[in-house]
Amino acid sequence: MNFMHLKEHRETYVVYFILILMVLVSSLLSDVFLSLRNINNILRQSVCLGLVSIGQTFVILTAGIDLSVGAVISLTSCLTTGLLMGRDALTIPVVLLVLAIALSIGFCNGFIITRTGIPPLIVTLGTMELIQGGVFLYTDEPYGQISPYLEVLAWGKLGFIPVSVLLFVITLVVGIVILRQTKFGRHIYAIGGNEETARLSGIKVNRVKIYTYMLCSFTAALTGILLASRMGMGDPTAGEPFMLESLVPVMVGGTSLMGGKGGLIGTLAGIFILTVLNNSLNMLDVSGYWQWVVEGVIIVVAVAFYLRGKNWD
Amino acid sequence: MPEKIFEMQKISKSFPGVQALDTVDFDGKYGEVHALIGENGAGKSTLMKILAGAYRQNHGKIIVKQEETHFSSPREAQKLGISTIYQEFNLLEELTVAENIFLGREPTKNRFFLDKSYLFGQSEKLLSQLGTQIDPHRKIKYLSVAEQQMVEIAKALSQNANIIIMDEPSAVISGKELDSLYRIIQGLKNSGKAIIYISHRLEEIFEIADRATVLKDGKLVGTVFPSNVDKATLVKMMVGRSLSETFPEKVAGEKSEILTLKNITQGKSLKNVSLRVYTGEILGISGLVGSGRTELARIIFGADQFDAGEIYFGTEKVHKNSIRKSISRGIGFVPEDRKKEGLIECLSVGQNITLLILDQIKKWFFIQKDREENIANGSVEQLNIATPDIDQEIQFLSGGNQQKVILARCINANPKVIIMDEPTRGIDVGAKAEVYSLIRKLAGQGTAIIMISSELPEIIGMSDRVAVMHEGKMMGVLSSAEATEEKIMMMATGYGQEN
Repeated sequence: MNFMHLKEHRETYVVYFILILMVLVSSLLSDVFLSLRNINNILRQSVCLGLVSIGQTFVILTAGIDLSVGAVISLTSCLTTGLLMGRDALTIPVVLLVLAIALSIGFCNGFIITRTGIPPLIVTLGTMELIQGGVFLYTDEPYGQISPYLEVLAWGKLGFIPVSVLLFVITLVVGIVILRQTKFGRHIYAIGGNEETARLSGIKVNRVKIYTYMLCSFTAALTGILLASRMGMGDPTAGEPFMLESLVPVMVGGTSLMGGKGGLIGTLAGIFILTVLNNSLNMLDVSGYWQWVVEGVIIVVAVAFYLRGKNWD
Repeated sequence: MPEKIFEMQKISKSFPGVQALDTVDFDGKYGEVHALIGENGAGKSTLMKILAGAYRQNHGKIIVKQEETHFSSPREAQKLGISTIYQEFNLLEELTVAENIFLGREPTKNRFFLDKSYLFGQSEKLLSQLGTQIDPHRKIKYLSVAEQQMVEIAKALSQNANIIIMDEPSAVISGKELDSLYRIIQGLKNSGKAIIYISHRLEEIFEIADRATVLKDGKLVGTVFPSNVDKATLVKMMVGRSLSETFPEKVAGEKSEILTLKNITQGKSLKNVSLRVYTGEILGISGLVGSGRTELARIIFGADQFDAGEIYFGTEKVHKNSIRKSISRGIGFVPEDRKKEGLIECLSVGQNITLLILDQIKKWFFIQKDREENIANGSVEQLNIATPDIDQEIQFLSGGNQQKVILARCINANPKVIIMDEPTRGIDVGAKAEVYSLIRKLAGQGTAIIMISSELPEIIGMSDRVAVMHEGKMMGVLSSAEATEEKIMMMATGYGQEN
């Protein structure tokens, strides 16, 4: 593999191992698990969580965290359908507007965090409440209607590939390229690794951090729009589960909450682990609560694995 | 001849891939300071960790107070009176001095409630035994490094330690504080304790040690009485190389004025500091900790602002200084605290090396991996950095090699001026010599070097001119011929000329 990211691979083999194990077990327990139809299903189910977790990975790599993603998802899903009201002609302007709003929320998060020094956890918890409250003031029940054009996002296919999966793959590839091959990506790792050194090396620490929060809100908005497209209307509680759920693939994938370590290859495995788990338990007709139990075990085991040997010397 | 309190016989220890210790003998006597010296990686720390119960030896015997012992944890070693004061203190910043001294062994009333009067009273007693007036009610975070060290020593005493291992205590303090540490060690020794003193610095071995044991590559080189040997002998034992080779010959490069400071003032830390810096020479800045050396360096680099005065870079006046502007003008900075300000521990050796020059090696948005590899490999070769490859995470390198990586990062940006704050702190003798010759080579090529150092031999051995600071003031600039340890010390303590 190429220069300097070997470490990331070495550490993520364990999550891929868990993933493969889960796939094996699931396919033994159920005949339909490996059917093309179900694989397509799993991919589609991965996309919503996947998109927002990509953004979250960027933020966590700088030793930050973004708890406002859930609220941003709710907001963007309601705004999209609320403004569209089924009108095709408005599709592009509305999507652009919604994305711009999300970017400015990300900018505010980053700006407040870098200028005031308030920990990201607190700042984004604050903006989460603020935005979620705003969404509920806008509508407290499912609202609006998606336009037929935008329905393509959730239901359309290019050949046999769902459009939503394509969107996810593109976002993922762009993310990986940014992290590995650009100066911006290197600066993200540098800041997460040692902010003071990064500053003394002339890196625009504040600016880079603000960009990561903008990226994170942007991917949350993609998830929000996709959810709206899937459901046909905006749901003010659509984003709620994502606030914490978006952290799980990142952590399971080996990105350190302390920053500087990890990456999207790991996050990708984390995303699939969660979806495969959900999918197979569903098919086996096991209570959804078991998913929580297993998920909890996986988080702790995976993170314990990454930290093993930390106290060796 | 005092009696032996402990003896380590034929200790061997291996880690995967390395023989860290190979049949080493070591002992300590009541009322003696026994220095343990050697380069980084010589096995000093491993040997002491075995004695302190943190590691177990593969072979060999440990006898403490006439009894063979097998420690399975540091706690057991502590019970036998063995205490270690590490370089990185184990103190909780938010707790008070007294709470730290008795951490994990808090005195209680009725087995439940903290006995505060005993806690603070006893702490005060311990601290005053050490001749310090630290208030046991103060929080650790408000103490200086030297004071924290005192707290660690007090903690060791509170555990009734009679074997006290000190891991390079002089790496973190200097000057007056070091003198008072020596006094305390003398006091501990007189009260019959055995002190093991780990160090790189030979001067202090002669000052305080009764015996010195030299390790090299995990093997015992020998145990000597410092009163019977000279420095050159000890250096030879440590590295198998004589002392005169340590500092390169002073050959200055082409000289022209590149940086001028006029009456720089910053709060209380700098008062009217003026200084001229020339290309092609090494300007040493000497002074005690707190004299304003580091503050001055940070201002020149643009990391901090100044209140009054002027800085000229060449003929251009610096209006608003910032790190980014300084870097683009061609100023490089090697910070004092390698771990906190120099390294990016999660990144690889290669990524650390190219951190400053990403703009030069990228095409459009993308970093050209092959160019990055070439540059990193080139630096590794040129500076003789010992690493398996450039993908190695930098945290696994030794201190000396980490420092070389930071120097490589700085040099690759092609700076005209390099500010180095304690460039050889905490690195072994071999790496030091390499760093010295590198610095000299840079000066010879016309780079202006500003080198801050607490070690006088280093300042004198390396500098073409020596600027001495005291309490934020520039006391004067000495030429290489004028600079002697006595003269610098006089000025650094506030005597002598002032301009």
